[in-house]
Amino acid sequence: MNPDPNTLLIDLLDQVARQDQQALHALYQQTSSKLYGLALKIVRNREWAEDVLQESFLYIWRSARMYRASLSPPMAWMGVIVRSRSLDHLRRQRAEGDVFAQDFSDELAQEVAADEPTPLDITQASQQAVALHQCLQQLAPEQQRALSLAYFNDLSHSQLAQQMNAPMGTVKTWIRRSLLRLRTCMARYA
Amino acid sequence: MDLHRHPELLDQLAGKYALGALRGGARRRFEALCRDYAPVRAAALVWEARFHGLTELGPAVTPDPAVWRRIDNLVNAAAAASRQQAQARPSRAPSPSGWAAWLSSLGVWRLTAAASLVAGVLGAVVGVRQVTLLRSEVSGLQAQLATSERIKYVAVLQDAKSNAEVLVTFDPRANTLTLQRVGGYRESPDRSLQLWALQPGQKPRSLGVLGRESLLKLTASDRDVERTVQLAISLEAQGGVDGTAGPGGPVMFTGALIKKQL
Repeated sequence: MNPDPNTLLIDLLDQVARQDQQALHALYQQTSSKLYGLALKIVRNREWAEDVLQESFLYIWRSARMYRASLSPPMAWMGVIVRSRSLDHLRRQRAEGDVFAQDFSDELAQEVAADEPTPLDITQASQQAVALHQCLQQLAPEQQRALSLAYFNDLSHSQLAQQMNAPMGTVKTWIRRSLLRLRTCMARYA
Repeated sequence: MDLHRHPELLDQLAGKYALGALRGGARRRFEALCRDYAPVRAAALVWEARFHGLTELGPAVTPDPAVWRRIDNLVNAAAAASRQQAQARPSRAPSPSGWAAWLSSLGVWRLTAAASLVAGVLGAVVGVRQVTLLRSEVSGLQAQLATSERIKYVAVLQDAKSNAEVLVTFDPRANTLTLQRVGGYRESPDRSLQLWALQPGQKPRSLGVLGRESLLKLTASDRDVERTVQLAISLEAQGGVDGTAGPGGPVMFTGALIKKQL
């Protein structure tokens, strides 16, 4: 039976909660690429993503003791921290009209559009993550896009409609159908 | 609103919530339902667990080494600052190691959310007056803890269509498995549901027969639960079957047992 990758992360968070700086470093080494990738995908600017990563790890340093009460898998807990800081950052920049600093270059797009996980990723990922990935592939492209935009970009139905240039009713249908199909598909992997 | 009667709607709401597509009033109302109703909470948990795969298999981009250096510096500064503060008030306050020893003897470090309060206060300077305050806070927390459950294991048992049917938690201190029916399934009067623990390389082991209440408790030891990877519920004749032979009837619900280390 494969060792659960979560166990290592849970142990590290435990040690970080006891103010073990080396554990924080080990945690950073294990998770920072995924977390930086997530931040970059949302804020689309390297400097901002670095700020987000820094703030997130400082927050993790201060609040690792609260992880246990959350009952979440470790990457989920840390992912939520990074995601919410990224979205805060994005909203601040939007409010200040600074969206032009967002980098839509091909180079950055290639780095973060890596929607194809590597074979190594897949062997190391949890069963559920692999199931999600397979099931997402089976959705229509606009459904996949709607889900991705909603999750990573924090867009409401109306904002999604604007972004995807589609009527709100259509967007709602995409979301509704994709949730239904995801559930059915993932049940087969359970 | 009785979401029990609208499982499809509950599933949609839970999915949208986990996605982040529920906003404003709808989101707040759903969160209130989560707090008050276990089935809603269970549905939200199931969907959140599904979506976190998006982070797990998302792009991995190596950040600049300077980022770690900045984090390291800031963490060093924070650690040094709190050491300085602890030393700034000498004689009256117990030494930091004395505190740590006293607190660990109380088993306070095993508290969950409550511990963050104590640990947070500890991080600040400790004067004599504050020592008294701390002690009463801690005994207050201890009293609270004595009555609250520490959840160490949790499982959401789902049917073949991934509907959440039973939410299971295990309190190791009280040796109690708590089962909460969160779906609409009700066995007929001549049948009973029976809970099984599945451990790698072993026959399923019965953890007990379920009564008909929506919230019920079964006794189980830490050892029973320790190496269990999955729980299953089978449909048996009334009264269940002798645990030694494994389930006799069909398996209705299954779920992975998630261990949260305290």
